[in-house]
Amino acid sequence: MSFFNFDNIKISAISSAVPTQIVKSTDFNDIFGEDFVKKFISSTCIKEYRVTHEYQTAADLGYVAAEDILYHCSIAREEIGAIVFASCSNDYREPATACVLHKRLGLNKECAAYDLNLGCSAFVYAITMVASMLQCSDIDKALLIAGDTPSKLTSKADKAVAMLFGDSGSAVLLEKVQHQTKINAILRSDGEGYRAIIAPAGGYRNLNATTENVQAADGNIRNLYNICMKGTDVFSFSITDEPLAIKDFLQKTNTRAEDYDCFAMHQANMFIIKHIAAKLKIPMEKVPICLDRYGNTSAGSIPLALSDAYGLTNDDIKIKTLMCGFGVGLSWGVLAAELNVKNIYPVIETDEYFAEGVISSLDEL
Amino acid sequence: MDKTKKLELLTELFELEEGDLQPETVLNDLPEWDSMAKLSLIVLLDDECGKTLKNDQIKTFKTIQDIMDYME
Repeated sequence: MSFFNFDNIKISAISSAVPTQIVKSTDFNDIFGEDFVKKFISSTCIKEYRVTHEYQTAADLGYVAAEDILYHCSIAREEIGAIVFASCSNDYREPATACVLHKRLGLNKECAAYDLNLGCSAFVYAITMVASMLQCSDIDKALLIAGDTPSKLTSKADKAVAMLFGDSGSAVLLEKVQHQTKINAILRSDGEGYRAIIAPAGGYRNLNATTENVQAADGNIRNLYNICMKGTDVFSFSITDEPLAIKDFLQKTNTRAEDYDCFAMHQANMFIIKHIAAKLKIPMEKVPICLDRYGNTSAGSIPLALSDAYGLTNDDIKIKTLMCGFGVGLSWGVLAAELNVKNIYPVIETDEYFAEGVISSLDEL
Repeated sequence: MDKTKKLELLTELFELEEGDLQPETVLNDLPEWDSMAKLSLIVLLDDECGKTLKNDQIKTFKTIQDIMDYME
C-alpha cells in the first residue's frame, strides 16, 4: 500500500520564491486566437505565470527560499544534516543540484545531499523521503528544496502547455522533535503513463536528438526537447487516481475530509482541482488557489500555494493540512501534516541567480 | 440511463439547444468538439457513469451515438 507513518518529525518552516517576469495568458491571443485563450482562462483559471530569466534555475529560487528559512529560524548551518533537491529541472546533467546547493548554502560536510527526480508529485514524495531519512538517522534537521522551471521547456506554439506552466522554487525545514506530531503519507505510481507528460530528449536515451521544430499529430508545434503533454490522459488520471488515493488515505488514517483545515493540492488547473474537491465533498474555501497568478509550477506548486495563502498571516495557528501531488511519471501521493501558519513565509520575488554556476567555456573549469 | 437522458447530458455539455444534437451528428462537424469539450466529457462519464475515459477511447468516437453507446 506504500503507507508511511512518522511520529516525531515536524515541518517547521516553508518559504517560496518566484521570478519577477510575468507572462499573461492574453499574450497568446495572436498565436492561439482570442476565443481559445478566453476558454482556456475560464476553465483553467490561469491568467498569468512567472518565468525565470535565461540563467536562473529552480535551484536559484529554492536557494533564496532556503536562506529565508535559515534567517527566520536562526539556525546554524552546521545543524543541517541533509539537503534534498526535488525537481525535474536540474542545474546540470551532473552533478546533483543538491550538491551545488550544499556549497551555496555553506552547509557542513557531515550532511547528506541528493536529488529526487520527480515533478508534480515531488513535494509529497520528498517530504516522505526526508522524514524517512530523519527517522532512521541521527540527523535532527534537514532542508528540502522543491521547484521546477517547466516554462523553459514548453513550446510557445503548443496550445496544451504554453499558457499552463510557470516557474517557482520553495524550501522546507524538517525537524526531529521530542513530542508526538504525526506525518502520514501514501505514495503511488503508474509507469504505464510515462509518456503522458514527457520531454523526450535531453536525457541519455537519445543524445543526438534533433532540435528541429515540427508540427506534431495533435497540430501543435514543438521539438523533442519540449514538454509534450497528453492533456486528456493526464486529466482522466488526475480526476480518478488522485481522489482514490485520498479516499484510501482517509480510510487508512481513520480520518474524514472534514477533519482537515486545508487541502493543499498541486495547482494543476482549476478544472481538475474543482473536480477532485467536488468528488471528495471538500469545500473550495479549504483549498488554497494560486494558479491564477502563478500557473502550474510542478514540484513547487504545493508549497507556493501555502506561502501564497498563509505567508502574510503571523498568527500562531496550527492547521491540519492534506497535501495532494499528482502528475508526471505518472506519480502521485497524499501527505498529511500539521503546519503552524506563523512558520509559512510570504512569497519572495527574485531574479537572483548563481552567476558562478554558468559555465560557458571549458577554460573556466 | 435512457437515450433521452444521454442526449440531454451531451447537449448540455456542448452548450447547445435541445434538438441541436442527434445521435447521428458527426463529432468533427461540431465546432464545439474541442479539447475542452473532451475534458468535460471525461468529467461527465466519471460523474454520471463511473467510467474512466482515456484519449485512445475518445479517438474512436466518430458520432454522438458512439459516445452514447460508451455511456452504457
